Amino acid sequence: MSQLKPEIQTQRMTETLQDVKKIQFWLDKAVAWSQNKSPDTLRDISRHLRKLCAYLQQLLIHVNSLSSTTEAMEKLPFMGQLLGRLCWNFHVTANDTSREVLFQCLWALYSEHPSNAVERKANQWIQNVLCHFATEEGDGPQAVMKGLFLPLHEYYLKVLGKSVSLLQEEIVKSCSSLGGINSRCSCDKILATSEACVPLVTCGDAAPLIGALLQRAETCVQAVLSEDFLHALNTAYSSKCLVLEEQSVVSLWCHSLSTLEEAVLSLLESVVTNTATTPQKMLEKVSQSLLPKACAQNCSIFLVVNDIFRSTMKHAEGNENMKSLIQLFSLCFLKEHAQLQTQMYLPLKYFFPQTSQSLLIPMSTLPSEMPQEAWRLHLNWLSSSLQRLTEEEEKGDGGSGSHRGLHKVFEAWFLLVQCSHWVQVALQLLSTNDLRDCSALLWLLTFYHHPTNRGHHRTMQLVRSQKLWKHLHSLFLNLAHPPSVDQLQPLITLLTSPPPQQPPLAPTLILSLLVNFAVFFQSGPTHILQMVVDGSGLLQEVVCVLSSLELRLSEGSCRESDTNRVHIRIKELQKSLDTCVQYGPWSPAVNQTHSLTHTVKRFENDEGVRTSPKQLTGLRLCGNPWQCDFYH
Amino acid sequence: MESVLKNVSSSVELLAVAAHSSVVEHWQEQTVSRAFQWASYCEHLHSRFHSNPTVRGTIEKQIQQTNQHLLSAFPGCTQVCFSDLSRLRHLLLQGLLTNPKLPLSIMKTLFDSKHPAERTYSENQDVHGLCNYIVRCKSACKVLRLLTDSLAVGAVGADAEVLGETLMERLEAVMSQSGDLCKAEHFLDSVLQGGEGATPHLCVVISAALLTRKKSAAETASHAVLLDWLLKRHSTLKHMVTEAPTALITDLVKRHLKFRDAYCNVLKEWASDMEYSLSEGEWTTQTNPTLTFQNLTQHFLTLFEACPSVRAEVEKELNILKKSDGDFEVGGLSVWGDLLSALNQ
Repeated sequence: MSQLKPEIQTQRMTETLQDVKKIQFWLDKAVAWSQNKSPDTLRDISRHLRKLCAYLQQLLIHVNSLSSTTEAMEKLPFMGQLLGRLCWNFHVTANDTSREVLFQCLWALYSEHPSNAVERKANQWIQNVLCHFATEEGDGPQAVMKGLFLPLHEYYLKVLGKSVSLLQEEIVKSCSSLGGINSRCSCDKILATSEACVPLVTCGDAAPLIGALLQRAETCVQAVLSEDFLHALNTAYSSKCLVLEEQSVVSLWCHSLSTLEEAVLSLLESVVTNTATTPQKMLEKVSQSLLPKACAQNCSIFLVVNDIFRSTMKHAEGNENMKSLIQLFSLCFLKEHAQLQTQMYLPLKYFFPQTSQSLLIPMSTLPSEMPQEAWRLHLNWLSSSLQRLTEEEEKGDGGSGSHRGLHKVFEAWFLLVQCSHWVQVALQLLSTNDLRDCSALLWLLTFYHHPTNRGHHRTMQLVRSQKLWKHLHSLFLNLAHPPSVDQLQPLITLLTSPPPQQPPLAPTLILSLLVNFAVFFQSGPTHILQMVVDGSGLLQEVVCVLSSLELRLSEGSCRESDTNRVHIRIKELQKSLDTCVQYGPWSPAVNQTHSLTHTVKRFENDEGVRTSPKQLTGLRLCGNPWQCDFYH
Repeated sequence: MESVLKNVSSSVELLAVAAHSSVVEHWQEQTVSRAFQWASYCEHLHSRFHSNPTVRGTIEKQIQQTNQHLLSAFPGCTQVCFSDLSRLRHLLLQGLLTNPKLPLSIMKTLFDSKHPAERTYSENQDVHGLCNYIVRCKSACKVLRLLTDSLAVGAVGADAEVLGETLMERLEAVMSQSGDLCKAEHFLDSVLQGGEGATPHLCVVISAALLTRKKSAAETASHAVLLDWLLKRHSTLKHMVTEAPTALITDLVKRHLKFRDAYCNVLKEWASDMEYSLSEGEWTTQTNPTLTFQNLTQHFLTLFEACPSVRAEVEKELNILKKSDGDFEVGGLSVWGDLLSALNQ
């Protein structure tokens, strides 16, 4: 025991030495900052603001661990000086974060029941500082203010507003697009202005100025924003303290890649890890995120966002939530893009440089943009184009050509995921009594779920999906003798416990086909879906598929005469599924449910924490067909 | 009227209690809020009645009575007057924060920084985070002031512009209440202290007021009144011309004809005061030691730049004066001659 003591003592000594060094460092800084306000000093303050806040937090924790202010004054004799100097530095007090932690330090040093002269003095000093903060009249013309009956706080509020608008005006007129080629813009002031605004990024009253800076920097090459400014904006954005209007947020994304990535990842996180989310909620989240609009207005933003989606798809392709998100996002994006004014409009090909025009245009056309009769033909064409692409890839075995081929197939598949409104139409058409072109539609459907023959076993799955379709068709056709539970057993087994030697047919494929049949098949037996849900326990998944079907139809891509009938059908099904809720986790198939969702989640990070694409890269899944040396 | 007087009396008492009494130890957030509501009420009263001498007088008497009572209870207590009612919230805050018995919880509420929501102070009497917001505003103003100064944005600073605009607003209000110019002048005297000890601040404020751009009939009328007031106070005018930056004077000359003429007269007056000092080889003036011949020349050039059409006329006048001095071409004999040669270089 006695041997330990000296060690602890030395440790404590080195700790206090470090403390002393640190406080000396910050005290020197605070003194230097108060002596002059040259641009270099201001830059130094901006650069150190965050570290200062971190240091003050540490100091605060330390002080709070001590028993009294007297002890604090003994152990940290320079603290009072440091706080004093910082309180008088209006750059430090202008910034929300540093001001908050500064106040907290003051509270920590205030003694509610002062026990000696030191504590009483400290209290007095603190109260003086606070009074000065709130009521000091400064070097303004007090007499004039009094004569005008202008209250101090109102005066400062107005002056702030006036300063902001003066600077805004200056920014706007410094770069007039009407000037001739020889007229120089004075956008070199932008750098100094942005540097000065670093403490004010979270100040709502300064938001118009910050917005003007961001937008000017977008339109003029001479206007450069300071690194500290962008960094401060990014930090404020991450902690959700940023108060900016929409257009300014988009400008920020243009300037700061990390802020954009953060925005995309937080959208992914909020949607993908939340298993209880409905398609409607997802759509809401997507449009509220401003990202689709920003993507439509700025090709570069879209390319970044798409890249993030692409890389997530490469590593987590089985995640249905992810696929739905991408589809909804693309839908919003295409709509925003279509609505753009002519001066901002850029043809779609610039947004999809890796896809051929011949595939892009047909895929990106929305079903609502063409008559329903044309759908079959369109889908046929899509299906055959994609088939051709896969055949080309499969023909070229080995060598450099195959990488390119695989890459093409991946891009085509990724585009299909983005434009999976066509897959949904294919499902709808497959579920009618019309038997034309079903092989092409089935191929498309299978390709969507099992894109390649390298690990996805597309050919084999195609055979199985054809069998499934025929089976469903016969089930629904048989109105006279509706199927019993036993007759539905093979279907249920396929969903819940498929034969272990073969790779399973994607459950979502099966379910979505089933649901579409239940909705669209004319006068089929009504209880099939119900019985399958009862037997398999996949209530949540079915409800989800039904909701996304409802969402698509509410966008208005169904023929008028059918709309009513279809909507009534959907409502009936939803009502009958609601009564299933009571069975929920107590259904007999609970084990199978677990294994099913486990399979689906296999491609997600097991801890369920936020996965950045970089983290997802770390997932080395065996047999992932996209994992060839071409990508990493 | 009875209730109004009672309320005013109570509010003044409240102010004294907040500043001096140990009762504040037990005050809660709601108490402080109520106190601010009362202070706000008094501010409304002030704005309603400050131009009504009868009511004003009655209220003033009431306040005096209350002051007397309070002196006995709180011997060091500050005496309030009617015009203090216009900033009673400020005085209340000041009183509270100087009261050593103010509890920590109230301080924390006032300075709470967890409410980033922007607030309009005028309507909202919520005291939560009030002082935090004031500090932020003030500091942000100073930060931006540094920036606007370094970038030379605007001829006057934001603070002078705000005061100038407020001055015009109040002046227009006074003039709309009664067309009596005397009242307007009286108002200007009280605000601008009759122009006595005209500080640089004051000059900038007056300039800013004269340069407001609302483009309304009321504004034009008010500008006229302010200008007349200024031109009557010769020393203030001279001070303004000396202190104000060139850009400001240029704007004023361009905007107001009367100012241009007055400016021109001031310059001529200065010139005529000048004497040639043989030892220094320069024209100097005793009345205005900081004014050099170069300054004077520069002033004339400013005038001509701002208003080129006036140049010919002024030069003609200077020529006449030069002739009356003997029409010498040699330097040092006639200030007018030297001026002309300097201006035509």
